[in-house]
Amino acid sequence: MGKRWILTLLLAFAPALAQTRGGELRVAVLAEPPVLDPSASTSQEIPRMLYDNVLQGLVKFNEKGEIVPALAERWQGSPSSLTWTFYLRRGVRFHNGAPFTAEDVVFKFNRARDPKSGHTHPEYYQDIQSVEAKDPYTVVFRLRQPNQDFLFNLARPDSVIGPKGRVEEQKTQPIGTGPFRFVAWERGVGVRLERFEGYYEPGLPYLDRVFFRFLPDANAQLAALRAGDIQVIGLGVSPENALVLQRDPNFKVVTGFTTTEITVGMNNSRPPFNDLRVRRAIQHAVDKKALVEGVMLGFGTPIGSHRSPGESCYEDLSGYYPYDPARARALLQEAGYGPNNPLRFTFTLAAPYPYERRLGEAIAAQLAQIGVQARLEVVEWATWLSRVFRGADYQMTIIGHSEPNDIGIYANPGYYFRYDSPRFRALYAQYLRTPDPKRACELMKEMQRLLAQEAVNVWVMNAPYIAAMRREVMGWWPNQPTPSLNVTRVYLGR
Amino acid sequence: MRGFLLRRLFLALATLWLASSLVFAALLLLPGDPVQAILGLEASPAAREALERALGLDKPPWERYVDWLTRILRFDLGESIRYGKPVGELLGERLPLTLGLVLLGLGGALLLALPLALLALRFPLWDLALSGLMAFLQSVPTFFLGVVLLYALAVHLPLLPASGFPGFGEPREALRHLLLPALTLALSRAAILFRMARGSLLEVMGQDYIRTARAKGVPEAWVLVKHALKPASLPLITVLGLEGGFLLTGAVVVEVVFALPGMGSLALTALEARDYPLLQGLVLVMAALIVLFNLLVDLLYGLLDPRVAYA
Repeated sequence: MGKRWILTLLLAFAPALAQTRGGELRVAVLAEPPVLDPSASTSQEIPRMLYDNVLQGLVKFNEKGEIVPALAERWQGSPSSLTWTFYLRRGVRFHNGAPFTAEDVVFKFNRARDPKSGHTHPEYYQDIQSVEAKDPYTVVFRLRQPNQDFLFNLARPDSVIGPKGRVEEQKTQPIGTGPFRFVAWERGVGVRLERFEGYYEPGLPYLDRVFFRFLPDANAQLAALRAGDIQVIGLGVSPENALVLQRDPNFKVVTGFTTTEITVGMNNSRPPFNDLRVRRAIQHAVDKKALVEGVMLGFGTPIGSHRSPGESCYEDLSGYYPYDPARARALLQEAGYGPNNPLRFTFTLAAPYPYERRLGEAIAAQLAQIGVQARLEVVEWATWLSRVFRGADYQMTIIGHSEPNDIGIYANPGYYFRYDSPRFRALYAQYLRTPDPKRACELMKEMQRLLAQEAVNVWVMNAPYIAAMRREVMGWWPNQPTPSLNVTRVYLGR
Repeated sequence: MRGFLLRRLFLALATLWLASSLVFAALLLLPGDPVQAILGLEASPAAREALERALGLDKPPWERYVDWLTRILRFDLGESIRYGKPVGELLGERLPLTLGLVLLGLGGALLLALPLALLALRFPLWDLALSGLMAFLQSVPTFFLGVVLLYALAVHLPLLPASGFPGFGEPREALRHLLLPALTLALSRAAILFRMARGSLLEVMGQDYIRTARAKGVPEAWVLVKHALKPASLPLITVLGLEGGFLLTGAVVVEVVFALPGMGSLALTALEARDYPLLQGLVLVMAALIVLFNLLVDLLYGLLDPRVAYA
C-alpha cells in the first residue's frame, strides 16, 4: 500500500519535475510603483515585485506569515529583549558582485532610524539605540526599551538591505541579494528580472526570467491571460472573473488570505459618529455575510476588529455585533434619529478600488433599510489621500488597510479615524514594551476587543487574495501575508 | 502667405502658453499632492518634508510657475516628479506610439469611410445598410468596441497580439501590435467621416457641373470619383482636423484597453500622481499637436480650393 502510494505520487509529479527549470514567467500587476525602493515609498506595488525576489532583509516572512531567516542565519535576543545579536549568512553577494557584510547592515539601520534621511518609517526603528558590527558577520542591536514588534519590523519590506552607501540609485536600479537580479524598469510597461546565478540557496530560483507587466485594466488583464501574453494575474482578480476562469481547464485560480482589513472608516471626532450609539447602530445594520456572498460571490472572510485571521494573536470578533436591524433602529432612536429625523451623512468612496466601491454601495443599501441616508460620493485617489486620509475631512469612507500588524494606527489620535482613547494608547504601549511574547499576545487580543467594543469602525472583511494563472504555473504562493508576489520557487510544469 | 503663417505661429504660441498656465492653476486647485502619491499612505511627516524640499515644492506657487516658464523658454520641460526622468525624454518615449496610433486610426477611418460613402451613393440599398451600421458604430463606446475586437481577433482567433508594445526597434512587430488598437479607433471614427462624406457628396451631386458631366455621357462611377470627390472633400478635411484632436483623446481609452505605453496612459499616471511638470509637458505637446493639425487643415484647404486666400 505504502509503496504503491509513493509510486503514484512519483508518476504524478514526474512530468512536472522534468520541467522545473528555466523559462520566462510573465505576471500582470495592477499598477506601476513610483520608485523601486521600499524604503523610499510605502507604495505596496514595490514589495509586490521586489520583496524577497530581489531585495532581502535580515529576516523575512514565509508564505504562512512566519518570520524566518533571510540574510541572518540565526539571531538571539537577551532575556531583557534589549540586546539582539544577528549572525549573518556567510558568502552572500549582492547582485553587483560586492560581498554582503555587517557594514551594509549598520549603514542600513543607521539611515533607517535617522528621521532626516527620508527613510519611509523611521518610527519603526526609533527604539534602536545603536547598531554595531562586532565582526564582518555579527551585528549587535541595542534597544532603548523593549519593543515587541522589533523582529517584525525587521521583516518588513522597509527593512531590506542594499549595498552600503547606495541610496539614490536604489530607487531606480535596485541591487539586492535575492534570487533574482533587477534588469530593467520600462516606464509604463513593466519590470524585468533575471535569475541571479550567485544566489546563496543552491538550485534556486527555477525560472530564468520574470516580467512583471503593469496592466491596470481588469479586461485587459483577462484578455492578455487568455491570449497567452501573460501567464499569471498576480492579484486583484475580480470574483466574477475568478468564477469564469475556475471553470476553464486551461486556467486555475489561487485564493488565500491577505493582511488587508476592508474597513468602513468613521470620523469618530465629528457628528454623527462621535456618538457611540450611532456607531453601534451602524455595526448592527451591516450584514457582513450577505456582503461576502452577494458582492464578493463568496470570496472573503468577515472580521470584527482590526486584524486579519492569518495574523498571529487574532481574536475572532466577527459575531460581536450580529446583524440585527431592529437593534440598530432602537440604538438610532436612542441617539435621537427616527423616521422624522433620519440619520444623514456623506459616504466617500475612493474611485480606483473596485471592491471597496462596490462594498460601499451595498453597505449604503443595507443602511437604507434602517432608514439611514448615506449619500455616496466617489473621489479620485489623490483627492481621497489629501481630503480623507490627511485632512480627516469626511464622515464615512471605506478602504482596505493592507499593512500587516498595523493596529498601532489606533494609538494615534491624529489618524484619520480620529479615535482618541487613552485606554487604547496605554494598552498599545504595554504591548510594545512587554518582553514576554505570551503577555503581548494577550494584550493584542485585548486591543482588538476594545476596538470592537467602542465600535470605532466597521471591519467588513479580510480581503481575499485572488490570483489566476495558466495551468502549468506551479508553486505560486496562495496567501499574501506580506504584499509580495514571491516567485523564488515558482516553476513552469507541463 | 508669410504673414498668415507668422500670425498663425503667434496665435499657436499664445494658445500653448494659455493652455499650460490653465493646467498649472487647475493643479493648484485640485486636492492632493505628488509627495503623498509617491510616499504612500503611511508616510511620516519627516519623510514628507524631506521629499517636499527635494522636489522644490516648499516654494510658493508663483515662484514655481516662473521657474517653469523660464525653463520652457530654454526648451527645458523639467523633470518628472514620479519618474525622476526629464519630461522631454519621457515624452520622446511615448509620443511615437500615440502618433502612430492616431495616424493609423485616422488613415484607417478615411480608408473605410470614403469608399463606403461612394458605395452608398451609387447603390441606394447599400446606403440604408451602411448608414445603419455607421449609426451603430458611432453609438458604441470605444472601450467596448476595443474589448469586442480584442476577444474576437486576439483571444478567439489569435491573429494579432492582445496587448503591449515592443517598441519601434522591430517595425513589423510594432505594426502588428498597433493594428488592433488602430482598427478600434478607425471603426469608431469612421462613422462620423462616413456621414460627413455622404452628406457633402450628396450636396455636390446636385450641382450643375455634375449634371453637365452626366449629360456629356461620363460614366457614373467616374463622375463620382473625378468630379464629385474633390469638392466634397473640403468639409471632410475640416472634420479630419477636428478628428485629429478627438483621436488624441480617444487614444487614451484605447491605450488603456490594449495596455499600450503611450501618451494617454502617461497622462493618466501623471494626473493620479499629481506630477506637475509631466502634466504640463503633456498638455503643451498635446496642444501643440492640435494646433498643428488645424494649421495643416488650413493649408490643405488652400491646396484643394484655390478660392481660399491666406489674407
